[in-house]
Amino acid sequence: MAMVVDYKNDSSFPYWTSIRRRFEPDSPFFTSGNLERELLAKQVALDLTEDERNRLEKMIDNAARGVCCLIVGCRACLASLEDFEDHYNALHTASCSVCSRVYTTSRLLSIHVSEAHDSFFQAKVARGYAMYECLVEGCGLKFKSDKGRQQHLVDKHKFPTSFDFFKKAHPSKKKRLKNQQKRRMHKKDEEASSKMEVENETIDGLVSAVSKLSTSDSSPSNISFGRRNARGLTFVPLSVQPPREKK
Amino acid sequence: MADDSSTSHRRDPIKSSVGNVAAQRRRQNAVTVGKERRESLVRAKRLCRVGATGDGDVPVEENDMITDEAGFLLDTQTSSAVEELKSAVAYQGKGAMQKRVNTLRQLRRLLSKSEFPPVEAALKAGAIPLLVQCLSFGSPDEQLLEAAWCLTNIAAGKPEETKALMPALPLLIAHLGEKSSLPVAEQCAWALGNVAGEGEELRNVLLSQGALPPLARMMLPNKGSTVRTAAWALSNLIKGPDPKAATELIKVDGVLDAILRHLRKVDEELATEVAWVVVYLSALSNFATGVLVKSDVLQLLVERLATSNSLQLLIPVLRSLGNLVAADSHTISTVLVPGHEITDGVIKVLVKCLKSDHRVLKKEASWVLSNIAAGSIEHKQLIYSSEAVPLLLRLLSTAPFDIRKEVAYVLGNLCVAPTAGEGKPNLIEEHLASLVQRGCLSGFIDLVRSADIEAARLGLQFTELVLRGVPNGDGPKLVEQEDGIDAMEIYQFHENEDLRNMANGLVDKYFGEDYGIDE
Repeated sequence: MAMVVDYKNDSSFPYWTSIRRRFEPDSPFFTSGNLERELLAKQVALDLTEDERNRLEKMIDNAARGVCCLIVGCRACLASLEDFEDHYNALHTASCSVCSRVYTTSRLLSIHVSEAHDSFFQAKVARGYAMYECLVEGCGLKFKSDKGRQQHLVDKHKFPTSFDFFKKAHPSKKKRLKNQQKRRMHKKDEEASSKMEVENETIDGLVSAVSKLSTSDSSPSNISFGRRNARGLTFVPLSVQPPREKK
Repeated sequence: MADDSSTSHRRDPIKSSVGNVAAQRRRQNAVTVGKERRESLVRAKRLCRVGATGDGDVPVEENDMITDEAGFLLDTQTSSAVEELKSAVAYQGKGAMQKRVNTLRQLRRLLSKSEFPPVEAALKAGAIPLLVQCLSFGSPDEQLLEAAWCLTNIAAGKPEETKALMPALPLLIAHLGEKSSLPVAEQCAWALGNVAGEGEELRNVLLSQGALPPLARMMLPNKGSTVRTAAWALSNLIKGPDPKAATELIKVDGVLDAILRHLRKVDEELATEVAWVVVYLSALSNFATGVLVKSDVLQLLVERLATSNSLQLLIPVLRSLGNLVAADSHTISTVLVPGHEITDGVIKVLVKCLKSDHRVLKKEASWVLSNIAAGSIEHKQLIYSSEAVPLLLRLLSTAPFDIRKEVAYVLGNLCVAPTAGEGKPNLIEEHLASLVQRGCLSGFIDLVRSADIEAARLGLQFTELVLRGVPNGDGPKLVEQEDGIDAMEIYQFHENEDLRNMANGLVDKYFGEDYGIDE
């Protein structure tokens, strides 16, 4: 029953429709009002202090609004929205120290770093090794090309066809203009120039650049990528992973 | 446990460790009491501390902190009281009636002293069968009253304790009759209200035993505390989820008239309980809703909302209004027609609720507005040009989450024309452009970022409206300015497929590779 959902034709976007919403009397929507009723009815008899009331209301609020994190693979459930925000910021905003892109798990970050910033990775790719890991944790499959992995994600794991991990989506406007310029310039200049941005290269472009590297495994020091000329090829340790609490 | 190897510089090791244990127990008890207290506060049941007639002869204890020792004492006293009741009931000789009343009173006092009556002890000692006997027909009023009072408080606590009242139900219902004295009937109604407040199962038992008609009749007189207690008990009895009871209630002769009369009363406490009856009538029974909408009730609700400042009253009145608007398209299409005085009145009181300090009022008023905004174009125009919009815009950025979500529904509904068949609903460009220009977009993008699926969906749907409908194709630029692209990218790896597809679809369509090239 595989239906190719093509949002480009916007045939299945659930548009905003204005409809009346009715709730059953025991709907969670009415909980806070119901609780308020009981508190008010009893507070005269029980002489609740202001402090007690506030604490009660907070407890009721939190109980009603426990939040579960829905990032793929994370099963954490947090007691309140504040706690959820802390959790999200701590665990799902891993940023790349090389290009500042942000990912939602440290695993994805590390995959990005290998694929986008590691010439060692590219060298292996050039030699035909299956280096592109499936993005779904636990799957374990690897592919020789980004396209192959993409197809696997769509076929096996039902990712949408529009999903694209490697294509770095939507940098800021300034950056986009810069990239457009570079692409035009690059067409004129066939050789790997120091202005080349790794992230915007096509696979073919990278392979051709990398094929100019020596075949030894050590990172050559005389080729620089991107604008980080000063650093040359920075060694980005692949094994650095922020500690991850699984609840 | 005393530490025998204590050195001399530790004073009284034995005493301090015992003290610690006792302190620990007290602390634990305080935690338990804290939890029990919270649960008891939140239940739909009510303890009777001062008699229904108001002349409780027991000074209610000020300090309800039950220490272990005091609790233990209370339990023991309760068990003995039940024992005494047992012999009093068995005794047939001279002065038997007085003896029974005295022992009942003693038990009742023990069950009314504190916030946490010794119910378990009473049940264990076998109180229920004795109390049932004391309810038998022909018993003197004093006896019936005390017995019903004991049962009321036994039923006010934990579920299994309330369920223990089953053998007493038929008699309690029987004493609701018009031949009973008012205080007795009221006390029985109170006990039954607690039983009904326990849950669906017990409600069904009460309904099948015929509790509804006599309780409904108790609501008909013009005044008295009995009317209020009966209304409260009825609200517990009809709260469903089966709508049958609500439908049955509105059909009882004189009930609609009584509801209207009581909603007009100055006595806010009575009006409050009756308003809750209307809440459940309108939430559950389409038949009842139809009857109510055709009556004057909407006008009365609006008047109450306009003139009262009691939160206790405003909550059920607002909710009744909300239920009547939500349940029946008839309400908006024939009664709350734009241009009619009553419609302006409704908008005005909803604005008053939006301005209030109370969270529940702001949230539920927004809900009602969102349903009116889901009506005709004229309804949308009416709200759009009212005082509500500036308030809503402010709430969208500053209010707590649950309010913001409802506000989002109002604003979004204002921007979309009524659904007409299949396909994309049309935009109301004027409203959309103006609201966006007044800064509502960031509030919606915040919702996209929230952890709540429904809110995120709303945010994405509104974003789509902006991308599609803001004039001059300015939508994408505006969304980008508010970090909308980043917000949507959260969903690349999100577990929820629906949100993932929505976000990715929008990003692909409006922020593809060619985005931003020409300029």
